[in-house]
Amino acid sequence: MIRTARQIGRAMAGLILLLLAGCATVQPWDRDILAEKKMSFNPSPMLQAIDDHIYFSKEASMGGIDAGGGGCGCN
Amino acid sequence: MRLQLEPAKPASALRDILHTAALALLLVPGAAKAADTDPTDRIDFTTLLYGEQSRTQIFEPVVRFTHLMSDGQWVSGQLGIDVITGSSPTGALPSGIVQTRTSASGRTITSPAGQIPMAPFKDRRVSLDGQWQRPWGRLVSSTLGGHFSREKDYQSFGVDGKFSTDLMHRLLNITIGGGVSRDSVFPVGGTPAGLSAGTIIHTGSNAKNVSNVLLGASRILSRVWMVSVNGTRTFESGYLTEPYKLITVENRVTGAPVSSLTDKRPSTRDRSSVLLSSVYHLTDDVVYTSYRYYWDTWNVRSHTIDLKYRRVLDADTYVEPLLRYYQQSSASFYTVGLIQGAPLPEYGTSDYRLGKLRTITVGGTFGFRAGDVPGSFTVRGQYMRQAGDGSPPNAIGIQRNFDLSPSISIFSAVVGYTFDY
Amino acid sequence: MIDREKLHDLMPLRRVFFLVLFLIGSSQSLFAARARDHAIAPDFTLPTTSVPFSLADYRGKVVLVDFWASWCIPCRQSFPWMGSMIERYSAQGLVIVAINLDKKREAADEFLQTFHPPFIVAFDPAGKTAEAFHVDAMPSSFIVSRTGAIVYSHQGFERAKANTVEDQIKEALSR
Repeated sequence: MIRTARQIGRAMAGLILLLLAGCATVQPWDRDILAEKKMSFNPSPMLQAIDDHIYFSKEASMGGIDAGGGGCGCN
Repeated sequence: MRLQLEPAKPASALRDILHTAALALLLVPGAAKAADTDPTDRIDFTTLLYGEQSRTQIFEPVVRFTHLMSDGQWVSGQLGIDVITGSSPTGALPSGIVQTRTSASGRTITSPAGQIPMAPFKDRRVSLDGQWQRPWGRLVSSTLGGHFSREKDYQSFGVDGKFSTDLMHRLLNITIGGGVSRDSVFPVGGTPAGLSAGTIIHTGSNAKNVSNVLLGASRILSRVWMVSVNGTRTFESGYLTEPYKLITVENRVTGAPVSSLTDKRPSTRDRSSVLLSSVYHLTDDVVYTSYRYYWDTWNVRSHTIDLKYRRVLDADTYVEPLLRYYQQSSASFYTVGLIQGAPLPEYGTSDYRLGKLRTITVGGTFGFRAGDVPGSFTVRGQYMRQAGDGSPPNAIGIQRNFDLSPSISIFSAVVGYTFDY
Repeated sequence: MIDREKLHDLMPLRRVFFLVLFLIGSSQSLFAARARDHAIAPDFTLPTTSVPFSLADYRGKVVLVDFWASWCIPCRQSFPWMGSMIERYSAQGLVIVAINLDKKREAADEFLQTFHPPFIVAFDPAGKTAEAFHVDAMPSSFIVSRTGAIVYSHQGFERAKANTVEDQIKEALSR
């Protein structure tokens, strides 16, 4: 278990490094599209929360953008 | 992070500010007072209708209020009510004859021959939740939250916090957070001993503690593309057993049910997940993709792939088809049944949700405004199909004739409404 | 709750976190370039709603050069404030030029219809001026002294901090 965790940790470190290393730059005044509401990892948080709740009660997994998912006796 | 719902009017500064605060990636979260005419409050209303074919039905209205303060802070409060009715599988195996047993609450339950036994239930859950976000200068923000929920046999109370900062000229955002929750489980009719015939050991409540940490990084890669990595780790300890689930003890040759025992799960579970997401903007449309890998100390491993495509029709209208694929391996102590006379394992469950499982979801969201009605609407329909291992290799005797994990079809519909004032 | 052993499990995540912090710390210097205070402001000529604006024509005045876009929320909040600044200080020689960086002129025009700014609005859809000033956030503003030097720069807009900028304007006007 701990070994898997380490491997995943390392994989995450690698990914974060990649994200940092990318020399891509977007000037502050070029972020018009990125400023749109639809350009979000979770543009509909309430719908997402409902989904997380459904999947949490029907499957064995949890975790996503927010770590939440608990708080009910549904699983 | 739950603040944006709808594509909103170009003139809604509240929407913009909330968006900024939520995204914490691009602009300036330390926003000052909006122009006097701009709205400072928002109401979100959603209703979920959920139905499993001949199993559970859920009706869940949720209302949320958000207030934006002059210095860029915001607070929100949410109230939700779940009304759940229907039946769920007990975990016991089907038999060639009609099975009758008495439930923990004293009801008599009959299961038709050849079908998996089900237990009826009815519940109501009320949940309250609050959040407070405040900016610390231009690049940093913190969020504090709390929740309380209660249902017939379960109560949860928890707090959480999050800290987010923009770095590298706001090309990178890092979020760290965590939370704790103190839950209690008080099964109707008392708590049965694990792997017993149903002997009640006490009628009080059982503690369950949950704590979690999260670490996330999101990065702007181009004018139209951003990606993120999120890791979460959740520690659960205490009463993690499902008090109403059963495991069938079967005849070693015929596979016929002889008796049934209660579920018993370990008292700790460490869960981890890594989520990779991407948001990519085409000419007007947006493609959302994500992949999650999950693993825990019960030996469940899962893969989730999620795809959404937002087809933008005009400033206020969009159609968003979605596709999700989920696959999990079974928990190490999952078993279809126990063999009569064999030594009892330390833990055991026949809950199909801890077995090998696959879920496919297809659906679509429609976002729009209705003429002169203020605010915006969302309607979403989803179809889920869940399939387990209906003919596991270790099924014996008559159990080979039955579908031990019949596919489930689930329909859900959500109607949402958001209004700024 | 988190016990020791679990914390041990967390180590990989923690290590990643410190690694990230380290990398960020070391990468910040790479991005440190910004129009230096007290440097001579880069000159520019841009179209406006009327005659083109050239910074060089305003030697002897104090010019607040502001960079904004219609999609930027704090920019929206800075407009009424800039309006009050020009009302208060134009007599003493303050000029405000708000350089719009929208790609599409229509977006800027829609915004301007709401605010009717009493100061000069110039248009630079290509962002060349922003580049010359090393603009690092939206909005950004620079106070250019009567002698053409950048004497103060500010990123973002917050009501609470607006007084500081006003003090800097007064200071520049007094010289």
